[in-house]
Amino acid sequence: MKNRDNYKMDIIPGVILALFSLFYMCQIPGIKIFKGLGSTPLNNHFVPWLWSGGLLFLSVWLIVRGILKYRRVKADGVENQGASLLSALADKREVILSFIALTLYVAFMNSVGFVITTTVYVFVQILLLTPTERWSRNIVPAAITALIAGCLLFYIFRSTLNVLLPVGLFGFGL
Amino acid sequence: MIFEGLMAICQPLTVLWIALGVAVGIIFGAIPGLTATMAIVMFLPVTYSMAASEGIAMLMALYIGGISGGLISAILLNIPGTPSSVATCFDGKPMANKGQAGRALGTGVVFSFLGTLIGIAILVVLAPALCAFALKFQAYEYCALALFSLSMVVALTGSDMPKGLISAVLGALLATVGLAPIDSRARFTFGIFQLNNGFALVVLLIGLFAISEVMSFAESVRKKQEYTVEQNVKMKGAGFSFVEFLAQIPNAIVSALIGVGIGILPGIGGGVSCMISYTVSKNTSRHRELYGTGIMDGVVASETANNATIGGAMIPLLSLGIPGDAATAMLLGGLMIHNVAPGPLIYEKNGAVVYAIFFSMLLAAVFMLLFMLWGMRFFVSVLKVPKNYLLPIVMVLCGIGAIGNANQVFDTYAMVGFGLMAYLMIKARIPTVPMILGFILGPTFEENLRRVSQLSSSDPFWNHPIFCVLILATVLVVIFSARANLRDAKREEELKNN
Repeated sequence: MKNRDNYKMDIIPGVILALFSLFYMCQIPGIKIFKGLGSTPLNNHFVPWLWSGGLLFLSVWLIVRGILKYRRVKADGVENQGASLLSALADKREVILSFIALTLYVAFMNSVGFVITTTVYVFVQILLLTPTERWSRNIVPAAITALIAGCLLFYIFRSTLNVLLPVGLFGFGL
Repeated sequence: MIFEGLMAICQPLTVLWIALGVAVGIIFGAIPGLTATMAIVMFLPVTYSMAASEGIAMLMALYIGGISGGLISAILLNIPGTPSSVATCFDGKPMANKGQAGRALGTGVVFSFLGTLIGIAILVVLAPALCAFALKFQAYEYCALALFSLSMVVALTGSDMPKGLISAVLGALLATVGLAPIDSRARFTFGIFQLNNGFALVVLLIGLFAISEVMSFAESVRKKQEYTVEQNVKMKGAGFSFVEFLAQIPNAIVSALIGVGIGILPGIGGGVSCMISYTVSKNTSRHRELYGTGIMDGVVASETANNATIGGAMIPLLSLGIPGDAATAMLLGGLMIHNVAPGPLIYEKNGAVVYAIFFSMLLAAVFMLLFMLWGMRFFVSVLKVPKNYLLPIVMVLCGIGAIGNANQVFDTYAMVGFGLMAYLMIKARIPTVPMILGFILGPTFEENLRRVSQLSSSDPFWNHPIFCVLILATVLVVIFSARANLRDAKREEELKNN
């Protein structure tokens, strides 16, 4: 199982990073070059080419290493059937839902406001980090914690420490 | 300037912030999964409205408390509270099992204090000397210094060199977003004006270290993690005699020097220093067979080294602007927010703040000693704090930290993006620490490389001996580290095959 994981741990990131470096390379010609007084012989394209070329080289290295590992695993005949993608995703459901909750939180913070989005987010995140069999015991404490956190943090940071947290829908008198 | 720095720290409110910082830092250090870096991330927005010396003093207190607090869970739970306390488990837990939990904690606390003091002493002596030396640096030297620091990535990537390098290169790529150095042409901004200034270091660090930590906890929600906390910890004084203390001094000094040395090297940090000093202490001891069975020497070596690393990591941070580990990278973000530019001119431009940092470190070390000797029962009880309630609030504070950095919500989008990237990197076993080095050193390298390209015709490189030495050192580091990494990888492969 470990060997199987090992070659996937090289090939998948390798492919993703290689595609990313190619995308990055495609953007480089679009950068405007400064040709006026004080321009440098190495222009602003050079270092992006250097880093993206380096990333592409390292990604290809990972892919080749992964393929070699795969061949060894195949030759040994020890390849295992791993879990399906769906079951792997289901196994990480708390992580996926946490990322979705966090994304929605920051996406709606500006329009809905810090207090409401924070209260909802903290409540949802507490439940996501709590085993489902303990939800019934935790719903009320989670709701109270979320409400206090949302209001208190807004008051402390917006009113006392002058951090420009979004006010959102209701204005809260500000 | 020394007096100004002292006066800034002697303000009652500043003393209060330092005390609070140490206490919170110890709590974060003690709870496994929460680190000194997270404590600094969380409190960064609190410091936005403070004066520079006040805010940075608090961040320093969090750093010192965070590194020191890790010993509590290492000794009582056999789980290091922070990576810096990994080696403390080796002898700390066996001591606790023998009924010497109080003695182990006392040893850890006192020698953490001693390690911090030695680190600060070396910092106070070395930082100005390094600054004076770095004043001679021009474009050639900075370019070579950035290359040399990046070459350390090869040394610290362990057996998987390509993945470590990928992380560093990704960091450097992210740093190219925004206005190019020298000619200020926009690059990779896709028309989004918020990207003109590039990504903020603080936002990247929050994503890399705070979000990925919460997601790691989310992964383990359904796994039962039950551990019993030893509540009955009795501490009488430090738990050991003065003779025993004196006997440990040579061990402590060697460990502290190792800690400072490792701290100075970019990107390595306390996790490695405690392991190396433990190994050195064991290999040079007359009773090496007793290591791991629960002796003071092991705890002394680990705890002195990891706290001495703090002073060591501050040396390149203050004098060159190069962080020693993730926590100092966060401090670099804090310094920038408070308009303090680390580098050779820091003593001239912000001398009072530098001395305030030194005094705040001293005061924080004293608070750490007092709090942990007399308040151990409280810190032991915080090990039971439910993380499912704590982490969402940490996340919100991280969001506030990202917004407060430039007062724009856009930074929270970047924060989530970096968090997702860090989580996927961890899953792909790509280390995240080299990315910070790449992100910080990439622009330094580019700016100075382009300057060098302008100068090379009139001022060739052989006129710059420091440049030549640094380039030679870089080549040697890369060759020897690559050889060592390949040897390690081969050994690992052989072990797997067997």
